[in-house]
Amino acid sequence: MNIELISAIVGFTLTLLVFSYLFGDNPLFRFAVYLFIGVSSGYAAAVIWHYVLMPKLITPLMNDPNRNILLIVPLVLSFSLLAKLLPRISWLGAFAMAILVGVGAAAAVGGALLGTLIPQAQASIDAFGLGGASNPFAKLGEAVVMLAGTVLTLAAFHFGAKRAPDGTPKRNVLVEWVAWFGRLFIAITFGVLFAGVYLAALVAMIERLGSIIQFILQLIGS
Amino acid sequence: MRRIVSVFSAIFAISAGILVLLGYFVRIDPLPQVRDLLIDWTVIIAGAAVFVGILNLIMVHMEKIRTRQKGAGYGALLVISLFFTAVYGVVFGPEDPLMRLSVDAVIIPVEGTLMALLAVTLIYASIRLLRRRVDIASVIFLAVALAFLIAVVLIPIIPVSNSFLQFLAMFSRGGARGLLIGIALGTLLTGLRVLFGADRPYGGN
Repeated sequence: MNIELISAIVGFTLTLLVFSYLFGDNPLFRFAVYLFIGVSSGYAAAVIWHYVLMPKLITPLMNDPNRNILLIVPLVLSFSLLAKLLPRISWLGAFAMAILVGVGAAAAVGGALLGTLIPQAQASIDAFGLGGASNPFAKLGEAVVMLAGTVLTLAAFHFGAKRAPDGTPKRNVLVEWVAWFGRLFIAITFGVLFAGVYLAALVAMIERLGSIIQFILQLIGS
Repeated sequence: MRRIVSVFSAIFAISAGILVLLGYFVRIDPLPQVRDLLIDWTVIIAGAAVFVGILNLIMVHMEKIRTRQKGAGYGALLVISLFFTAVYGVVFGPEDPLMRLSVDAVIIPVEGTLMALLAVTLIYASIRLLRRRVDIASVIFLAVALAFLIAVVLIPIIPVSNSFLQFLAMFSRGGARGLLIGIALGTLLTGLRVLFGADRPYGGN
């Protein structure tokens, strides 16, 4: 039996097992999902070993330990993470976690600023550049609607409130109105996103059903 | 001891974070090099953290099996499949034909089928939304989703539906930009809180 046939049989069986969820949660579905988690975790371990730990840590330390002496620091910190598995000495892993969180936070700040805030603000400004537009009024209208959508959506998440005479927190009437329009923009955005995700799911379903039919046809053919 | 660890881990996090941030914005040697070094170390530690996470997953399921809890059989299946895939993958590499088999026969079909199930689940969720909460936002949400789907299907038959999609995109792009900026502002604030030591999610209290 060749490897492609084994792959097709296993894939076909697992597809049916996962589709059995349409009749409710059942042992067949759980079998497929637990197997999936096990295999994908194992695969992730293999990928990290071969593409991260070996080339970035183990190989440089083995080949030229004197030149890569600084790699002792991540090596020690990586081993210290094992302490997180034992509650009594879990504090030993705090330093490695601190480096992870600190560098992660800095990368997130840099990424948010350089990757999202500045480019998005620039794109909002650029939308008003009417030079070369075949229909400047249409382009201006589009830019205004997009800017309004951006501002109103942000305003929908403004939750600053003053205390009313009866003690309950109450938002400013103007903010309340602006936020209401913002919610409409959010509803439209999520509607489009929902449709996009649904289309992707539909494509996946067609592909899976196609693979089942293909497999059965192959069996009949052979 | 706990206090010392708390203080030193905070110093580690804040100094590493500030050095990386300076490396991003101040292009004076050796700050970019220090930033790259710290990021390289973090990638290694993050890789090791994934290994620790996988070990923890094994330990949790081994405990389930040992105490014969409900679903221990599934736990055994998970541990066995994980163990063999990980050991084989570490020894022979992820590009080995048998490892490719695990991807082609298990990971891709199950992922694809779970995605396909989403199509059914989303329909069910939309019906539930209309049953439980009928307000202007949820009606607009579902109407837009439906109109979008119909317009996409009709593009080959009625080309003008493409103009409708562009009209819809004008509104959704504005909203999406607002959401993106909001997420970025939240990320910025959370990151700065960590860098100022106001939040210490690494066990620094």
